[in-house]
Amino acid sequence: MTETMTKDDIIAIIKKNLKENLHDVDVEAIEPTSSMRDHGANSLDIIEVVSATMRELQIRVPRSELSQVENIDQLADKFLEYL
Amino acid sequence: MRPEDILKFSLADFTYNDSETVLDPPRDFETWTSDPRIGVAMSFFEQPLQQAPTPRTTLDHRLSGGNREMINLTSYNYLGLSTHPEVVQAAIDALQTYGVGASGAAMLSGTFDQHEKFAAELAEFKGRDACMLYPSGYAGNLGAIQALMQRGDVLVIDSKCHRSVVDGVKLSGARLVSFEHNDAQSLDAMLERHKDSRRMVVVEGVYSMDGDLADLPPIAEVCEHHGVPLYVDEAHSTLVFGDTGKGVVEHFDVEDKVGVDFGTLSKSFGGIGGFVCADENVIRYMKCYASPFQFSCALPPAVVAAMRKSLEVATRDDSLRQKLWANVERFRTNLEALNLDLGESASQVIPIIVGSDGQELIQLAMEAQQRGLYLQPIDFPAVEAHARRFRISVSAQLTDADIDEACNIIEDVIARPTGAVGAA
Repeated sequence: MTETMTKDDIIAIIKKNLKENLHDVDVEAIEPTSSMRDHGANSLDIIEVVSATMRELQIRVPRSELSQVENIDQLADKFLEYL
Repeated sequence: MRPEDILKFSLADFTYNDSETVLDPPRDFETWTSDPRIGVAMSFFEQPLQQAPTPRTTLDHRLSGGNREMINLTSYNYLGLSTHPEVVQAAIDALQTYGVGASGAAMLSGTFDQHEKFAAELAEFKGRDACMLYPSGYAGNLGAIQALMQRGDVLVIDSKCHRSVVDGVKLSGARLVSFEHNDAQSLDAMLERHKDSRRMVVVEGVYSMDGDLADLPPIAEVCEHHGVPLYVDEAHSTLVFGDTGKGVVEHFDVEDKVGVDFGTLSKSFGGIGGFVCADENVIRYMKCYASPFQFSCALPPAVVAAMRKSLEVATRDDSLRQKLWANVERFRTNLEALNLDLGESASQVIPIIVGSDGQELIQLAMEAQQRGLYLQPIDFPAVEAHARRFRISVSAQLTDADIDEACNIIEDVIARPTGAVGAA
């Protein structure tokens, strides 16, 4: 299932999970170049969004690899590496 | 998990369990921990001390397969009060009077005269109206924050605050927001963003992984500007900072700008427990709603009696603090001569930051311990992945000879192999 995923698909999943964790966020307004913190996410929210997205993609990306990720676009790239 | 990725994983990666039953740990976790390289890293955990946590102690050292004497740079026994003869005698005397346990929660049968007297003594020491005791430092932060905050509130914390603070806000149902470490401007922005909610700010006096201090004057000013109470966790700074040992709040002379003053009894005090000082009405309220206070057995009375003696010994003069600071100065001078990265440390907690290579950190730790230095590696996720480190907890009990010998070992096993000094 996940092998046919595109980067846009992954970004859509991240946005969906961000919406589920931050109820007052406007998904349409989320630019991939923004960070989750820009939308009010705290560290616990980010952990939850990343975990939920990885579960959905059926991948496990080391958290240590994510520490330098600065925005949603870069996060999607990192997930793509593990698909 | 791809086999080639095993060393990239850490304890941060297995909190979600994908097994069918809750008593089966995650399959990847089993794979990961069964790798011999991860096994070596985990063998540093829970190595049992065979003696008191003094500068020379004996460890059941798994890496060399038996008991061995070590120079201890890891215990939090900053003032050496854990083994101070007067403190130990106070515990023995109280054990004979009160027995071993409190045998009840504080609200019902667990409060003894020792608890009541000690809480009053701590409040007086801290210059606060009132104080309450908790069974541990973790329970203290958890309980105080859970009792004070509620759904709809926003707790604004420094990004490097302790897990107990984070867990407290989770339990409370309030929203957690963090600001950039020690950045008053970032704090100001967060308080402004959430100005429509009830808020509280939490910072630590000394940050436990870096040894740097809260930049309290501007932080307190921002809180005052927004009319938001400030909660200071003085776990690592009580009895260490300030002219009389009250902590970093006294050090920066901002006592009148702090609403809640938290401390632990497991570090400089040399025992176990937590305490929270605040206005009397706040303490009275917290006692009724802080679950870790209400639903835990109270501290053993003998421990409380010993902690009363610790407070007396540590505050009757400043000799222990002076000795600690002399030791910190000697350590820093020696380590700076080795060109090691000590971060922003300004306290008795001194990190030696090695970098991003987790395997190198473990290898250096093995060599240090095999040379007789009980210095634990601090790996991701406890610290950032690019700043893995060792952490020295300086004690007033260390002699000059202990410090010099420890620094010689650090030079051989850390400074030279990492290229900080000389050739490898």
